[in-house]
Amino acid sequence: MQRRKFLSLSTLIAFAAMTPVQLSAENYRATKPDVWTSHTVDDSIKKLYGTRTTIQEGVKLTAPDVASNGGAIPVDIKSDISAKSVALFQDANPEAAVIVYTVHEGGIIDYSLKMKMKASGTITVVVEGRDGKLYSANKTLDVALGGCEG
Amino acid sequence: MKIKAKLKDDIVKVKVLAKHAMLTYDTAKKKNLQANFITRLTATVNGKIIFEASTSQFLSKNPIFKFKFKGAAKGDKIEMTWVDLLGNTETSKSKIK
Repeated sequence: MQRRKFLSLSTLIAFAAMTPVQLSAENYRATKPDVWTSHTVDDSIKKLYGTRTTIQEGVKLTAPDVASNGGAIPVDIKSDISAKSVALFQDANPEAAVIVYTVHEGGIIDYSLKMKMKASGTITVVVEGRDGKLYSANKTLDVALGGCEG
Repeated sequence: MKIKAKLKDDIVKVKVLAKHAMLTYDTAKKKNLQANFITRLTATVNGKIIFEASTSQFLSKNPIFKFKFKGAAKGDKIEMTWVDLLGNTETSKSKIK
């Protein structure tokens, strides 16, 4: 009886411990809090991936050359690389990191979003491939009207 | 949250508009408010996560997200949830057309 009770209890505990892991894959704000407080792009990439060495190919980053409104700059990221995650950084705002996507099974790297930039600067996107290498692309743009005051 | 999901050639295109002020630390200080912004966004179809993003305060006000994925059929339900810095959450559902 004792043993049976123990067994059923332990299975319950094992289930309880496993469920949250299955539900959420990776919360980068919880697991890598330093990324979000880093002030430079280099620092932020290092904190997220452990290295700053990237290969400048295979990633397409589209943004306007001149953004009339810094409060909503359209950014498109495209890539055919089989990837684990995609991260976006910029160097105009107080902190560097903007967004980190986790690529799931069936996910295609074709993201669009709107971001804020305080002043003119450079956007950097880093794609973490399943082969362990980092691929990146840059885009420098002028911002006519800064967006962080909004 | 407004969600539009369309299936074409096995690929589902999703457009999402999340209503949120996205107050940065700087703006919040000036206006004497508490900074608050979406920190995490997930989408599931049939209980499987297909999109996941951790975000910072530098997304635009009422941010728009577009993404694509494979492996869903017409009529499947897509469910999206965001969580902000203060712990508020919002969940919206939509059908893939």
